[in-house]
Amino acid sequence: MGEGQRELIPQSVTVTKIIDETPDVKTFYLALRDQGGRCSAPFHTLPGQLAMLSLPGVGEAMFSATDGGDHLQLSIKKVGRLTDELHEMAEGQQVGLRGPYGNGFPMTEMQGKNVLFIGGGIGLAPVRSVVRYCVDHRADYGKLHLVYGARTPADLIFLDDLTKHWPAVEDFTVSMTVDNGDDEWQGHVGFVPAYVEELRPEVANTVCVLCGPPIMIKFTLNVLRKLGFQPENIYTTLEMRMKCGIGKCGRCNIGHSYVCLDGPVYRLDQLHELPNEY
Amino acid sequence: MKALAKKNLADALALLAGQATVWVPAKVAGVTRFAPWSPAVTLDLEATPPAVSPKEILLPETESLYRYSAYGMDVTFEAVEQEVPPTIIWGIHSCDVQAILCQDDVFLSREPQDAAYAKRRAATTLVALACTTPGPDCFCTSMGLEPAEHASTDVQLHILTDGYGVEARTARGEEIVARLAEKGLLVETIEPPAKAQACTRAVNPEGIDKKLVEMFEHPYWDELAATCLNCGACTFLCPTCHCFDLTDHRRNAHEGTKIRCWDACMFTEYTVMAGGHNPRPGKKERVRQRFMHKLRYFPERYGKWQCTGCGRCVARCPVHIEITDVIKEVGEVTLDG
Ligand code: SF4
Ligand code: SF4
Ligand code: FES
Repeated sequence: MGEGQRELIPQSVTVTKIIDETPDVKTFYLALRDQGGRCSAPFHTLPGQLAMLSLPGVGEAMFSATDGGDHLQLSIKKVGRLTDELHEMAEGQQVGLRGPYGNGFPMTEMQGKNVLFIGGGIGLAPVRSVVRYCVDHRADYGKLHLVYGARTPADLIFLDDLTKHWPAVEDFTVSMTVDNGDDEWQGHVGFVPAYVEELRPEVANTVCVLCGPPIMIKFTLNVLRKLGFQPENIYTTLEMRMKCGIGKCGRCNIGHSYVCLDGPVYRLDQLHELPNEY
Repeated sequence: MKALAKKNLADALALLAGQATVWVPAKVAGVTRFAPWSPAVTLDLEATPPAVSPKEILLPETESLYRYSAYGMDVTFEAVEQEVPPTIIWGIHSCDVQAILCQDDVFLSREPQDAAYAKRRAATTLVALACTTPGPDCFCTSMGLEPAEHASTDVQLHILTDGYGVEARTARGEEIVARLAEKGLLVETIEPPAKAQACTRAVNPEGIDKKLVEMFEHPYWDELAATCLNCGACTFLCPTCHCFDLTDHRRNAHEGTKIRCWDACMFTEYTVMAGGHNPRPGKKERVRQRFMHKLRYFPERYGKWQCTGCGRCVARCPVHIEITDVIKEVGEVTLDG
């Protein structure tokens, strides 16, 4: 690539694997593949960072990325034209990718603390990048507790992680809930905020990582406040429409902050300083 | 001080145009805007300010970023390399020099820099012209500028009876002045340059950035935005507005070019997300965003107003939503508590 807009020009990457998570969510593994078929990550991401996926002639959209070592993982829900096309794709297809963008979670600051993860729906994607980091650096963090909710059992994503990998990790509690159960569902039924309240997670020396639909975040924050969490110990991610990813196109601002560059991860007390416009 | 006589101006521009693209304020189809100088161009150094700012020289209205192709399983992306000739902006006023400093803040001051902008900016020399007769909507002095000169230009031209006082302010400026002197186009003068007349409009923006922090939910915005047509004339003409869109220009089903083009926070679709949610759904939110950006967010982020007082939006808004009124009215609002 020439010396043009390095920051805005995608690389071609190959979709090396597609996992059907739910009827409307798929996880795409993206990698550079050399002649011999060996894969390498197009770039590395910190937990919570973003990548811009580009479909030639269709457009671009920003997604939370999870670093898989020799590839990146993007879990994508069908919500419009671009994501519809993505869901039609087969393994082996190339797409464009640029990044990484954004700040990511402050993994160093969080060291020595217990971590309470709370995710709703597709919001488990950014949460999962943090979980994986904590699991990979298990000794650096205290107790881990994940509360995850989806609409129905069929909408739970990352089932292998939820039911096999994470429960096997030392001092890691996984609590799942669904808004509506079905005949086979043996687990908890109810909304995430109420479930969190019921679970009474540990507050002392704990940071909370909270991602999900805005309405869930709003009600969960009320519960966290009631439980005694301080805004300085709560992190969440925001979504805005994005074009450039580098704080220049002006599109993703909330007040003076650009979500693509200064976010998408915000500590709640920092978020409170910004206008309520997201 | 060195002086360039009016009768030597065309020779000076011709000399510089031999080695650079020299943009000058010119009458183009009845409108004063910047155009590359040639002997055929009708100079208009009197317009205060030129109706269209020189923004497009550093941030073109549209530019190609890369070509893409998608055949079967393969996709490719190939940068479109831009030829950037040495460029001189001749006759730019203080307000538009200040606007370039605002653009520099956005495109250059934080990593990652914008490569295309950086390349054009590095190739550009500013020759500012004193503005001594303000236009009907000018208020640059209120925004802290001096119409007669700007500290951040490469060369400052002053107004003399029959020509221009020429003062180099940077090494790059020295070079230009030296080239003109070498060809015998400059003389020494002791004539004092003309002083600038007071701006037509005066407002006092002091402290409104802080006040706006308390005014996000204020009913003032409903009132102000009620008549806005969301036409985008204000943002289009504003020399500091920098928002852009990235979009595909499809040549056929497989190939095309990624274009960067100006965009505006005044348009409805600007912030609509894929799922349909729009954090700025109405006129109120969009008008508020525009003024908050210029008068609060930009100062918070970069430490300067994002309005230079050029008055272009004041002159052209079809429904007279005027930033001078906004500054005044925000100043007058009483906040309870
Ligand atoms: S906001 Fe209006 S007056 Fe201020 S710089 Fe932009 S166009 Fe000029
Ligand atoms: S020029 Fe006036 S009417 Fe048009 S978008 Fe701007 S404020 Fe609204
Ligand atoms: S996406 Fe362009 S500024 Fe954030």
